[in-house]
Amino acid sequence: MKAVDIAVSRFLGLPDDAKPVATFLICSALIAAGVVMCTSPAVAQASPFGAAPAASGFAGWVLSKQAIFYRALSATILMAKNDGSALWTLMGIAFVYGVFHAAGPGHGKAVISSYLLANDETWRRGVALSFASALVQSFTAILIVGVAAVLLGGTAKMMGQAVRVIEIASYGLIILLGSRLLWVKGLGLIRATAAWREQHSGAGTDHRHPQACVEPDCGHPIHNSFGALGKRADGDGGQSGLLQRQHHHGQLHCDACDHDHPHGHDHGPDVLPWGHAHGPEPHELGGPDGWKRGLSAIVAVGLRPCSGAIILMVFALSQGLLWAGVVATFVMGLGTAITVAAIATLAVSAKAFARRFATDEVGYGGVLVRGLEVGAAVLILAFGILLLAGYIASERLVGF
Amino acid sequence: MIVPTLRPMRIGSLGRRLHLAVACWLLLTAVPAFAHPHVWVTMKEELLYAPDGALTGVRHAWTFDETFSAFATQGLSAKTKGHFTREELQSLAQTNIESLKEYRYFTYAMVDGKKQKNAFNEPVDYWLEFDPKKTELTLHLTLPLKTPLSARQLVIEVYDPEFFVDFGLAEGNPVKLVGAPPQCAVSTEKPYDSSFQSTPTLKGLFASSEANVGMGMSFANKLTVQCP
Repeated sequence: MKAVDIAVSRFLGLPDDAKPVATFLICSALIAAGVVMCTSPAVAQASPFGAAPAASGFAGWVLSKQAIFYRALSATILMAKNDGSALWTLMGIAFVYGVFHAAGPGHGKAVISSYLLANDETWRRGVALSFASALVQSFTAILIVGVAAVLLGGTAKMMGQAVRVIEIASYGLIILLGSRLLWVKGLGLIRATAAWREQHSGAGTDHRHPQACVEPDCGHPIHNSFGALGKRADGDGGQSGLLQRQHHHGQLHCDACDHDHPHGHDHGPDVLPWGHAHGPEPHELGGPDGWKRGLSAIVAVGLRPCSGAIILMVFALSQGLLWAGVVATFVMGLGTAITVAAIATLAVSAKAFARRFATDEVGYGGVLVRGLEVGAAVLILAFGILLLAGYIASERLVGF
Repeated sequence: MIVPTLRPMRIGSLGRRLHLAVACWLLLTAVPAFAHPHVWVTMKEELLYAPDGALTGVRHAWTFDETFSAFATQGLSAKTKGHFTREELQSLAQTNIESLKEYRYFTYAMVDGKKQKNAFNEPVDYWLEFDPKKTELTLHLTLPLKTPLSARQLVIEVYDPEFFVDFGLAEGNPVKLVGAPPQCAVSTEKPYDSSFQSTPTLKGLFASSEANVGMGMSFANKLTVQCP
């Protein structure tokens, strides 16, 4: 690995400190790209003479359930024409379909969970982001059908073009979001590595060097989004003295990062994750203004409407039941939000876990957590690029 | 403030590995899964032969499900409401063919087990037909082979690799050989067996375990012609 580090830093002309960081960045970019390429059905598209794809196991099961529920939706819309009570069935099916559907592509679970991993967001914010983006997604679909089909009497081609434009904007936003996170978090990782190294060179002292303090998240990784963990460590005398010392130190030198405020410390990408010696600004504390930080993620993810919702609404329109299609779209969005929120919560908990075990090795843990964040930022960027370049097949509306 | 509390526990090397695995799993599952179909197509196919016994092309007749047909015909003007003529659908057919080019018309040829690259030319004739009773659209198109193929075993596959479109063969005899040598025989391999319902009933859908989905199998519909 050392040889790789040296080769990479020489090639890029980076200072010594940055060697492992640069290697890590490049490796994670390659891994992310590899993962995306290998698991995407687009590979089959890129070489259409390869084997036809097959879905089996869990993926196949989700796939078949989605297909059944999607078809059931149109069947129920037809039923509702003659029987009003079928509308309740429609809502029920729309909800379940939404839950399953979010497991498929194009529902931003990847971007949202990566965004949460990259930023120190709380699970509650993750849930809020999931619901907000699902709501935006429902609105976009309704807006397209409402304006293009109902008001303008436009064709499927017109709606396809509208979706295409929105899609490009959405992927562009994802790329911007990923780039910005990568920049901020990459610098954070470089800082964390430097702090770790410095600490190692001054080994043997209990008192951590002030550099460790300006290390992202102020060098006491025990404080994660699940504030409870940190509190438990505080109150539990049986916890290792190291943690106590760390916490103590944090209070002495890192007031800006005191975690007693109820919103956790979720510094958005706007706030550089190091060197803020002052107290948190009000806008950093979540609350109504906190939405601004998540807005980029909500819009980037929610902009792309769900093709299925558009097709079903147009079908409902042709049956004179547009409103049923509109309500079903919102219910679908609710189901989608639940799945995305569940995945997002898992992502946040996984990071909390990662952080928990990372405290066993002081300093290194910070590097590891920063590394995870950089990886997540790389993943967002990779998604954006691959989606825009058409390597990942999102849902398509044209084709016929 | 309600926060989920996690019991403090000692995390050994096994625990670490487990949590790393969880993190990795999350990143992996975050990658888009398969799309699921939004368009269902019932296919009827004709394989066209030259007098010398070589396969010259494929003639598709693809019928779309009712939902997608409603979507595709949205905003199109018709003299008689709900009755679209071939002429009224011509511009839509044009759009279809242009869009299908990117997907190589979802049609692939194999000779003696070898996939042929870019085997087909652009469609020579194509049109859309609307069935006002079933409210279904059918796209007709003929794909000529760049070079006629003659071999002991020819395979034509029809599928959408992204599985946005679910292709299924029609009931009965969906594949015809047109002008083929009499000793040639065609066999079909479907990715699923449940019969296709363009307008499915709820009961039918949930009773069938497959609902026209190639679960656990390849999505490809294989048409194999053996000429001894």
